[in-house]
Amino acid sequence: MGSYILRRLLQTLLVIVLLSYVFYYLMAMMPGDPVDLMISSNPKITPEDVIRLKSLYGLDQPAYVRYGHWVQDLIKGDFGYSRTYRVPVMELMGARLMNTFILSLASLLLALLISIPAGIYCSLHPNSKLDYTINFFSFTGISLPSFWLGIVLIILFSVKFPIFPAGGTQTVGLDDGTIWDIFADRTKYLILPVLSLSIQQIGRFSRFVRSAMLESLRNDYIRTAKAKGLSHNVIVWKHAFRNSLIPLVTILALSFSGLFSGALLTETVFAYQGVGKLVYDSIIGNDFNVAMVALLISVSMVLVMNLAADILYSVVDPRISY
Amino acid sequence: MKKVKNWLWAAVAATSMNLVFAKDGIAAPSNKELKIGISQEFENLNPTIKQMLATEYLFNLVGRPLTTMDANAKWVPVLIKEIPTLENKKAQIISVGGKKKVVATFEILEKAQWGDGHPLTCEDFDFARTVGLSPNVSTGDRETFSQFEKIEWEAATPKKCKITFEKARWDFYQIGTFYPMPKHIEEPIFKAHMNEKEGYERNSAYVKTPTNPGLYSGPYVVSEIKLGDHVTFTANPRFYGNPPKIQKIIVKLIPNTGTMEANLRSGTIDMISVLGLDMDQAIAFENKAKSENLPFDVHFVQSMTYEHIDVNLENPILKDLKVRKALTLAMDREDLVNSLYKGKLRTAVHLFSPRDPWFTDKPGEISLYKYSAREANKLLEESGWKLEKDGYRYKEGKKLSLELLTTQGNKTREMVQVILQRQMKQVGVELLPKTEQARVFFGETVKKRKFQGLAMFAWISAPESIPRSTVHSVSIPSEKNAWSGQNSTGWSNKNVDQAIDSLELEFNPKKRIELAHVISKEYTADLPVLPLYYRSDIAVTPKNLKNYKVSGHQFSDTNFVENWNLE
Amino acid sequence: MEINSMEAIKNLEKPRSMAQIVFAQFLENKAAVAGVIVILIFTVVALAAPWIQDAMNIDPDDQDLANHYLPMASYSEAPKNVKESLLHNFIAREPEKAKVLQDTLLGQHLVQVENPEDALFKLLELPPLEFEKLLISTQAPEAQSLINLSKKFKSFHLFGTDEVGRDVFIRLIYGTRISMGVGILTAVAAALVGLLIGAFSGFYGGFIDTTLMRVTDALLALPTMPVLIVIAAVDIQKVPFLNFLVTAQNQSIWKLVFILCLFSWMQVARLVRGSVLSIREREFILAARTLGANDFTIVVKHLFPNVIAPMLVSISLGVGESILYEAALSFLGLGIQPPTPSWGNMLNKAQELIFEATHLAILPGLLILLTTISFNFIGDGLQDAIDPKTIKR
Repeated sequence: MGSYILRRLLQTLLVIVLLSYVFYYLMAMMPGDPVDLMISSNPKITPEDVIRLKSLYGLDQPAYVRYGHWVQDLIKGDFGYSRTYRVPVMELMGARLMNTFILSLASLLLALLISIPAGIYCSLHPNSKLDYTINFFSFTGISLPSFWLGIVLIILFSVKFPIFPAGGTQTVGLDDGTIWDIFADRTKYLILPVLSLSIQQIGRFSRFVRSAMLESLRNDYIRTAKAKGLSHNVIVWKHAFRNSLIPLVTILALSFSGLFSGALLTETVFAYQGVGKLVYDSIIGNDFNVAMVALLISVSMVLVMNLAADILYSVVDPRISY
Repeated sequence: MKKVKNWLWAAVAATSMNLVFAKDGIAAPSNKELKIGISQEFENLNPTIKQMLATEYLFNLVGRPLTTMDANAKWVPVLIKEIPTLENKKAQIISVGGKKKVVATFEILEKAQWGDGHPLTCEDFDFARTVGLSPNVSTGDRETFSQFEKIEWEAATPKKCKITFEKARWDFYQIGTFYPMPKHIEEPIFKAHMNEKEGYERNSAYVKTPTNPGLYSGPYVVSEIKLGDHVTFTANPRFYGNPPKIQKIIVKLIPNTGTMEANLRSGTIDMISVLGLDMDQAIAFENKAKSENLPFDVHFVQSMTYEHIDVNLENPILKDLKVRKALTLAMDREDLVNSLYKGKLRTAVHLFSPRDPWFTDKPGEISLYKYSAREANKLLEESGWKLEKDGYRYKEGKKLSLELLTTQGNKTREMVQVILQRQMKQVGVELLPKTEQARVFFGETVKKRKFQGLAMFAWISAPESIPRSTVHSVSIPSEKNAWSGQNSTGWSNKNVDQAIDSLELEFNPKKRIELAHVISKEYTADLPVLPLYYRSDIAVTPKNLKNYKVSGHQFSDTNFVENWNLE
Repeated sequence: MEINSMEAIKNLEKPRSMAQIVFAQFLENKAAVAGVIVILIFTVVALAAPWIQDAMNIDPDDQDLANHYLPMASYSEAPKNVKESLLHNFIAREPEKAKVLQDTLLGQHLVQVENPEDALFKLLELPPLEFEKLLISTQAPEAQSLINLSKKFKSFHLFGTDEVGRDVFIRLIYGTRISMGVGILTAVAAALVGLLIGAFSGFYGGFIDTTLMRVTDALLALPTMPVLIVIAAVDIQKVPFLNFLVTAQNQSIWKLVFILCLFSWMQVARLVRGSVLSIREREFILAARTLGANDFTIVVKHLFPNVIAPMLVSISLGVGESILYEAALSFLGLGIQPPTPSWGNMLNKAQELIFEATHLAILPGLLILLTTISFNFIGDGLQDAIDPKTIKR
């Protein structure tokens, strides 16, 4: 088991390095340059200025050289400097990562809270009216374009019935309030984006739980358990649900890995100060440092979570061993 | 189960009630606090390094230049007592080694000081210049700093600056983008890091300790800054001018213009700055505000932004003047301006904006083109472009097809593209709209003159600003001059070149107008550029905000923020 | 009794082919059938777009600034320049009729103009009813053609008009072509690529398998949206070997299909590989080899039929996903570029006007929802139909 983990970690590292180079190269291939863009807003910039700035930023060097510098800096612990905001990347990203984490975690928890009971209920009463209704809502959930849902929610709950704010992370200047004030305030801003995100997840998860439960309920050992006279609750939770955990763990792992990569579209629509929007802006603005760090974080999360999922399998299913 | 259900519903109801009543009501803002929304990103507020328009907007709340332009497009003294001119003898033209230069005396106001009490003197300007010219500092355009040959002062009068300018330009006093830097705070940092690339700017106090009041000299100081989100400004008790009436200003970034309006209505912001809504939204909002009696004023002020279509004069179709004239005649700009923009814009006749003293629209002085599809059709027929069955014109087998390129993501421009396509179809011209990302557009395509036919974008200018980089033949970007200059059409006209050369050195305003008329005459006769319209700046303010004026040019209205009053 | 048993025997399950079993099972799933119907309707309407356009006299590119943001179910009158150009074309097409009309009008002193050529144009200034009355009163047979022409001046807008006055209904229909087309094309192409890679990988195993699988994992690990954004920003016309595929107009469409494909083949590849791995060792493959079949025959004749079923499921679910991605990218401004209508970029435009023209913000999203949900139902129905455990006996 130990050597397996080690092997996987090494492979993960290799993949991260390769991906980072590919990504860096792709970004370098994007035509145009942040310096060139400055020309449009400041007509007084001369070509000498352009040459000077490009050499100052190192933009006149080929991609692999710049990549090399970037890796060197990274190893030294210097995460780089944001071209757009002129501040160190980590300073920029810290708060944003936290915000995205809160948003993703809240919606994930909400989704699980609703979808697991719903899925189990449906699997226990297949083809009933409620089953069909929930099924239909699940399908709707996974077929919705998330940004559209966000817009519709804003129309309904911020414009037509002004209950919730139309976007933002928190009311400005409230950092000096009490913990409870801050909590209540942040919640106000979180409700619509969390709803928007979780509706999709609820759709996906409940279908999943339902089919996983149906699969495990079909097994012979369930019939045996019933014959043995075990109570309904024990059968459902101790036997059926436990066995449906494997596919559930896969999905959960994938979802956890998405915790930091940010719900880009939702954050854009709600102007939520998260990492997703930052990544988008930095790619478009050719702010390499920020984009690369964001990419690294999300890729590592995915790969680490995959590894965690694989390990969890062996815990949950004694048949599996490495 | 039922009990649980009931309890759940009760909980939901209670929470939502709480949130409903906890929501801020839309009360009119008071002088205690004003929240402004902007839709463009800003950087950290270091005046020598800032590049973005939004940063300039914010910076004027906390820092002021020597002179600036007011809402009436007049140059006014800000940090000084009066503007030095040849007439008041504060400025002279001298000759050094055959080259003419200007020497002017700028007297800084006695009361001018930094937020920590340290006096603001000439050495702060000199220091800013040193930093701006340093090779390891990423200043945007050097010219802002290199235009000063030297700044001198006497020890006894540290606020009386004798500035020598490199060139004897009549507009030497128009230095609205030159800001002082607090030498007493920044110099040690600069000295320590000036030999590292970008060393100074990464360690500047503006980055590390942005809330230090000593960094600012304006009516406000920064009390909190969260990049990418908002900046909080509080009144500066040590401000040299009239104390600001509004105690606290919060500027919030709302990048999604769609929700900008929602935020305004729900009270998250009280006002939308000029870097906020676009035309379409503003017009729609104005209608709403009137019909629903909302407590907001929508201001439309003509700006110095000239929206136009550059013509690639190398394109064989466009080489023909008749074709260019026909294209201009085929564009119903009046209709565009009136139906789409409800008359809030003005059709352009040439590159000088109506607020510019050099502007003229007299038929004798320039060529005017009133919309006439019939005239356009006639001109095209005369040029040999015959109308075929498919509705388009052909000449020697070639179709009259032109690409109209513009920047991606600008809804207004995309709409205009589509409208023009339709209008051109009426005269048999096929217009192919295409968009590119801004940085490709400006950095590659337009700069290197690679656009096939037409390119639509805007120039920002200032009154009496000499258009050397856009219409002088020396500014045609090419391999030879390392793609410098912005005369992307490739226009070369001797009369215009001469007029521009004379303009820079002409100190007599009336003579300058004559020279400018030469330029506009040739421009409209030759049509290297098809004029579209002059844009307007838009702002939305609460009805109880007094003394607010949209500037209508690049020098922001926040230069006069201490006069705003919410009583 | 005998007759009954004869009938009973007949009624015993006749041997049905796999396809028939699947089909019958599929039909039992009402939601899936509903999905198929919806998709069929959309497809038919999308294909019939040009005819609808002519019948209702609306044009997806036809703008009219004076009539922008019209509400649903409203009428609009064509603007002057459009009327003029329609008249222009009429005169060019049928000069004799035009001349007769012109002379009639002038002869009966019904219009006052300086230039005889302007006679017909002057008529355009009249409101429609007067226009018709005047022409009828000339008693000229040619007048009817002109009256027919005037029918084209008015249009009915089922869903209102957008920000430049274009009819939303017809644009949504053309958008259907683009969005659904891109979705289906992507899903099919991605499935094919995945099929090839998965089959290759599973069949040959060893080093090829490991590498391909690592590549698949790596691609799955990439956060989709950021990479999509980066690739979408690259200008394809600058890449030499892809140049021949694209023109300025449809460049964005091909680029989008290419990009989306790049990210969708992994699922299918995994699926196919798993399938191939399980079948590879079976006896019938060994038998086929003994009989002299080469690799290619084995793969195509024996393996493919076994993977078609799950592949179809993957494709139908993939279409839904591709449509959502296209919408997302177009919404961000990186997908289909205007003026080509697609549901995603229509939403992008409408985002700012959720107050003034709510229907513009809601309709395209609704269509995306309907289409995606139909494809998902179809995919789900196929999945159930193919799964032997759920086939009812």
